[in-house]
Amino acid sequence: MQLTRNDIIEQLREILLSADDRNAEMIQSATEDSRLMEDFGFSSVSMLYTVIAIEEVFDIQFENVGVTDFETLGDVVNYIEGALK
Amino acid sequence: MNKPYEKRSLFPYLFYDFAIVTGVIPGLLFHRPKIRYETPAARKRIRSGALLIANHVGLIDPMIMMYTVWYRRHRFICLKELFETRAGWLLDRFLCIPIDRENFGMNSFREITAHLKAGHLVSMFPEGHVNEQGGGPMQTLKSGMILMAMKGGAPIIPMYFKKRKHWYQRIQIMVGEAVDIKKLYGEKPTMKQIEELTRILYEKEEMLRCSLEQEEKR
Repeated sequence: MQLTRNDIIEQLREILLSADDRNAEMIQSATEDSRLMEDFGFSSVSMLYTVIAIEEVFDIQFENVGVTDFETLGDVVNYIEGALK
Repeated sequence: MNKPYEKRSLFPYLFYDFAIVTGVIPGLLFHRPKIRYETPAARKRIRSGALLIANHVGLIDPMIMMYTVWYRRHRFICLKELFETRAGWLLDRFLCIPIDRENFGMNSFREITAHLKAGHLVSMFPEGHVNEQGGGPMQTLKSGMILMAMKGGAPIIPMYFKKRKHWYQRIQIMVGEAVDIKKLYGEKPTMKQIEELTRILYEKEEMLRCSLEQEEKR
């Protein structure tokens, strides 16, 4: 079954909350335009933790990307969608 | 990013081993390292993959780490910028792994964890740069090392070096007991546990520093 963008965002919310829940409210109401570092206050380590968790949950591999290459949640969703195809 | 030297060379360890064999005797004579161990368990030889961490007091720290665990090849984690200097050629042949501090790449992360899984020794200085205060308290440690060890399934072995004030003094080293993340927090620690573990490792490094100072006073 193919995941929709909304499904991906829903799963991403859980991952983001496990990585850093200091801005839990912001994460719960996150949209594709939400910025990971500025809006959620993520550090590079939280980003790395998130990327590792995404790889495990979605069973994909991030190739040739840095942890700060993703500015918004939408960027992450695009990458996951591309990798799942 | 270039392929690691180990994968593109026919004899990847020739330069490394030659440099170690020829450099170790003059190095040992000059630095005369005095290695102490926190406990008898810390004295045990490292046979499997492990992440070695230490405070960073000077440019010779990698050599000191090599003296301490002389029986294994080290893969040092180095800043990508250093590979772009003339020293890059040497770092490459010394099996160093380049990382981008500003934008940590997943390829570097995978290379590090693959080495740990393969049973290799990866060495790093988690303060991220040389501590100008020398042998005093360490600066905050980067939590990324925990994620590397966690994914690589390897223990973290802390050590502490004391910078010598005069060239004729011996370099003092204290080696701590291995910290096994799996034993402490299981397969998948939470982010809070990772932060806590970073704090524990910092305290452990401080403990090693205090024990070293006490030993010196004896």
